[in-house]
Amino acid sequence: MSKIEIDQILLSVFARAFKSITDEMSISVEQTARSPILCEAKDFVTGLYDGEGNMLEQTENLPILAFSLAPVCKYIIKYFEGDFKPGDVIFHNDVFSMGNQNNDVAVFRPIFFEDKLVAWTAVKGHQADIGGNVAGGYNPNATEVWQEGLRIPPVKVYDGGTFRKDVWDLIFANIRFDIVAEDMRAQMGATNIGARRVVTLLEKYGMEVFEPHKLALFDATKKMMQAEIAKIPNGNYSGEGYVYYDGKNIGSKYTIRVDIAVTDDAISFDYSKTDGRTNGFVNGTYTSSASATALTFLQMVNPDIPHNEGMLEPLEIIIPEGTILNAGYPAATTFGNHLCPPNADAIQRALGPVIPDRVTAGWNNLLSSLTTGRDEEKDDDYVDIFFMGMKGGAGAMQGTDGYDHIGMIDASGGVLDQDYEMFEQQTPHTLIQHEYLTDSAGPGQWRGGIGTVTKYRIGSEDTQLVTFGDGDFEPAFGLFGGGKGTLNIIKLTKPDGEEMIPLNKDLITGVPKGTLYYQEAGGGGGLGDPKKRDQEKVRDELRNELISKETAQTIYGLDD
Amino acid sequence: MTLKVGIDVGGTFTDFLLVRDDAEPQIFKTLSTPKDPSIGLVNGLTDIATSLGQTLEELAPSIDTIVHGTTVTTNATLTRTGAKTGLLTTEGVRDALEMRRGIREEQYNNRYTNVPPLVPRYLRRPVKGRLDRIGRETAALEMADVEAAIDIFKEEAVDAIAICFMNSFANPAHEKAAAELVAKAMPDAYLTVSAELLPSIRFYNRVSSTVLNSYNGPKLKAYLDALQARLQDIGFAGVLLIMQSNGGVVLPETAKEAAAMTLLSGPAAGPVAGLGYAEAHGQRNCLTVDMGGTSFDAAMVIDGVPTTATEGEINRYRIALPMLDIVTIGAGGGSIGWIDEGGLLRMGPQSAGADPGPVCYGQGGENPACTDADLVLGYLSPGYFAGGRMKLDVDAARKAIDEKLAKPLGMTVEEAALGMYRVINNNMAQGVREITIKRGLDPREFPMVVAGGAGPNHACMIGQELEIPFLLVPRESSIFCAAGMLMSDLKHDFVRSYVGRIDEANWDGLNGLINGMKAEGDVLLENENIPQDQRRYVLRLDCRYAKQYHEVTMEAPLDAVAAGDGEAIKNLFHGEHNRLYGYSLEDVGTHVEIINVRVQCIGITDKPEYSQETYAGADPAAAQKGERKIIVPETGDWATVPVYDGHNTKYGYQIKGPAIIEQENTSILVTASYDCVCDQYGSFAVYQKGREELVKPILEAA
Repeated sequence: MSKIEIDQILLSVFARAFKSITDEMSISVEQTARSPILCEAKDFVTGLYDGEGNMLEQTENLPILAFSLAPVCKYIIKYFEGDFKPGDVIFHNDVFSMGNQNNDVAVFRPIFFEDKLVAWTAVKGHQADIGGNVAGGYNPNATEVWQEGLRIPPVKVYDGGTFRKDVWDLIFANIRFDIVAEDMRAQMGATNIGARRVVTLLEKYGMEVFEPHKLALFDATKKMMQAEIAKIPNGNYSGEGYVYYDGKNIGSKYTIRVDIAVTDDAISFDYSKTDGRTNGFVNGTYTSSASATALTFLQMVNPDIPHNEGMLEPLEIIIPEGTILNAGYPAATTFGNHLCPPNADAIQRALGPVIPDRVTAGWNNLLSSLTTGRDEEKDDDYVDIFFMGMKGGAGAMQGTDGYDHIGMIDASGGVLDQDYEMFEQQTPHTLIQHEYLTDSAGPGQWRGGIGTVTKYRIGSEDTQLVTFGDGDFEPAFGLFGGGKGTLNIIKLTKPDGEEMIPLNKDLITGVPKGTLYYQEAGGGGGLGDPKKRDQEKVRDELRNELISKETAQTIYGLDD
Repeated sequence: MTLKVGIDVGGTFTDFLLVRDDAEPQIFKTLSTPKDPSIGLVNGLTDIATSLGQTLEELAPSIDTIVHGTTVTTNATLTRTGAKTGLLTTEGVRDALEMRRGIREEQYNNRYTNVPPLVPRYLRRPVKGRLDRIGRETAALEMADVEAAIDIFKEEAVDAIAICFMNSFANPAHEKAAAELVAKAMPDAYLTVSAELLPSIRFYNRVSSTVLNSYNGPKLKAYLDALQARLQDIGFAGVLLIMQSNGGVVLPETAKEAAAMTLLSGPAAGPVAGLGYAEAHGQRNCLTVDMGGTSFDAAMVIDGVPTTATEGEINRYRIALPMLDIVTIGAGGGSIGWIDEGGLLRMGPQSAGADPGPVCYGQGGENPACTDADLVLGYLSPGYFAGGRMKLDVDAARKAIDEKLAKPLGMTVEEAALGMYRVINNNMAQGVREITIKRGLDPREFPMVVAGGAGPNHACMIGQELEIPFLLVPRESSIFCAAGMLMSDLKHDFVRSYVGRIDEANWDGLNGLINGMKAEGDVLLENENIPQDQRRYVLRLDCRYAKQYHEVTMEAPLDAVAAGDGEAIKNLFHGEHNRLYGYSLEDVGTHVEIINVRVQCIGITDKPEYSQETYAGADPAAAQKGERKIIVPETGDWATVPVYDGHNTKYGYQIKGPAIIEQENTSILVTASYDCVCDQYGSFAVYQKGREELVKPILEAA
């Protein structure tokens, strides 16, 4: 075979074609899924991998899920020892074989071209239920994985195109809601859409053109990332972030400590000095924690770097087993995705003094809730993660205010609020308020992102409510003279007037119909001296009631 | 004899195409008058009358139809200069408009900021009153809140009001009641009611579309009112039709009510026009690019149909109304060259526009624009711009480029001008990438139909950047969209909610809804003088599997619904769902539901016909009018190249690049990498050197 020359146009055609394939897969899931977690909030990712499981492209609606797909793909290839046929469809969620969270169940589909396995498509989505002790999956009382949900190591649900009814029934006999099976069908459909597009692409260009261009793309991407790292001064930098309450021991606090070493065009993140694992479910898996590191760092470099295998090559991430970020078998780990915010805090604090114009102040930490119950009028079960209530403000950056109502840094604006009317269709609840929260933004020359206040009326008797999150002890931190954001709050007022404030990891059963749910998602941290803020902006925000008169005068020094 | 005029008002030029039964189509161009575009429009009609040896008052009454595209709303939205707008919305959700469901389009970019809302928070006023998810009232509408809001709107001198309440798609009663009060208290304010504009579920889509409509309404209405008055003054008594974003045309009264449907009014005719020209070369697919004075638009036609979207964004503002898929970037003849903080040469998006225009216009422009560079490089003739009606000042252009760009960059004037030319071509190539590569399409597989006054001078280099082997420059390229407007049909879209399973369908009820929409369409088409045999009705059903929350919009045969053939419709849906999403639930037996019924009523308009020329041989010598020194873009060196008169070229003429083909309103630069042959419709088929097979039928026509 003669050497194929790299065609620069073709290189960008391939790069964009990969992206359009994963985007189309994403649209396919959004359009067909039943659970609002998928079709409204987009708590899923889609990806395309080469025959060896190397990442070609991903659509990362929720990046924390995204960086655990390629490792699983490689694991699956090894697990089946290359025994794949056209028409295979494989499920996986197991957190002890590179999965990130029990509820995040992935579909992998091998793609064949000219009788050879050439690529994989995958969709991983947060399922409405995964069995275990608590409907919806967040069990704050769990101490080991079996109390959290069903483990699915790699398993073929279609074998060479033949549906394995026995396997299918085994899985779904262990899951509460029918819509989960429907949503897995939607994910399978999306991998099929991706597979069709890949085959069309290969028919057009042929493997002999595809392969060298793929390698050239990895190489170009790696060089872009190395060039970005080279801009950071060589040295060792350390930072800390804190986790409050492990779901078991009131008042408990854990430290995530990162030691970052920059050597020319390579960077390493070492978490060896991080606190040990908890005996509850507040633990990470290696992939969820490494995802958190990657996505935080990616926000500090050129955002146009393509997302493929080459991007992550210059990053080394060391997370010893037994730490809170990599708890090891058979720990409970459902909360692991949500250790991203304190992990991000540690990285921002470490690099803040070194690259002050590329880090942000603290982001609002996630505090979320999930309700399950019976929609009596529709005579149907429902599950809802309350995305709209949990999205607080981003941290400010030098020269840029923090983004308002963006939510956790692990999604960075990729996960959306339920549309209000869809929320009322999909749950029996009634929305009362969802608005910006006055005075929530951390003040600064560049203020933090604004948080929100949300209220709804619970519409089903005997509702089960789970809270999971943090940010009700420590607000988002300010940087370089900027002020901190506000705290997260969730409060319930029952029809008889009784008020209760759940813990930040809590399971509350028997919530009566008519209960008022109240939530504040805090603002992000500010950056720089508030007195230096453009007075025109201060006046404008005062007029729009985003800050109070008192804040305008005392903190921002507005004199009229 | 019928006389039709297509009029496209752009940021810099207003284009006219005049079509008569008894003569070849004629092109006219005049400078736009951005403050009141109707002035430029009437100026152009005056020029046309003069050229026909008539007075304006003689010409106007003889015009049967004017089809008009406008960028009034587009510009207002892009530059955020629409009306001061107030929003009345359900208490507790007034920030939905600004929050945009909490999206940040660039997840990894912490410098990426939200777009400022079209209605500031203090003008988003809450109203108590609530409907539940199926439209039952759970709290009465609080009229005092509406009154309080009206007081604020009056005090703030708001020109437009949008009303959008929770769950109004299921019951418009509260919106109607509030609208009545607003209409009474502020009769002059432009009012949009969400359930009338877009009666479908999803609050954010509805509130955003409704606000866009009100924000743009007053400007569009004022403009069309002025235009109608002016046209009446000059004695025009024919039909005025306005181009909409969906590629169809409507009467001005309809357009004024749905201002947001004109956000792509200007460029929407482009793909239709492009298809017309591409079809002459046996192509059902094409890429259309249109480079005017201010902006560059790129669009796609696939399998004979311009690509469309039912939801999208304009400048990141959500709009859930049907529209063509068009990418617009700020690159045009007026784009200004500047040096950024990093010392790099940049072009646009700021434009010198029509006033003052590029430096070479001699109207007081001081900043060197793309047209100045084209002139310095020799691609434009200083004495034959706009057919010689406008003299271009080369020295002034050179001086401006020298002072503002060449000296600071340490370059010669020619180097800086060529740099400007290359940078803007690169920007436009990026726009073509957006509409093709970003959607997974290879631009090299599509003929690129080139339009706009400035387009043909730049097209070869855009083509070269993307390795596009075949370009088609229509004879009417400079007024491309105006031509497309005369090729567009009347289109009226209707939608009704019908929620139910196909297996349990009430076919009489369903057909009743369809017939009702057809009847509404017929009234409009009747007003538009479309005879019965020129009307078409397209039925589309929004269907989904039970418990899904998004629908597939699919075309369904009217006779299948009339006959109550549920099986046929279900099978259509299974097939469509599999095609789009990779699976169907036919085997699982899941119910298929209908959610919305859509009828598009189309009035087929008479299209201009272009006569075919007879083959005149390959030798272009008869059309050569001279030669000129230009900088060949591939090498950067001066060379003397032949200049052809584009009005005298004939079918079969072969022109080797590098060469220039001049027409009154545009100039085609065939670069050293391309050759050109004239087709039977007077269009210029430009192909990569050595790729003669692309134009084989023409080359072999002898």
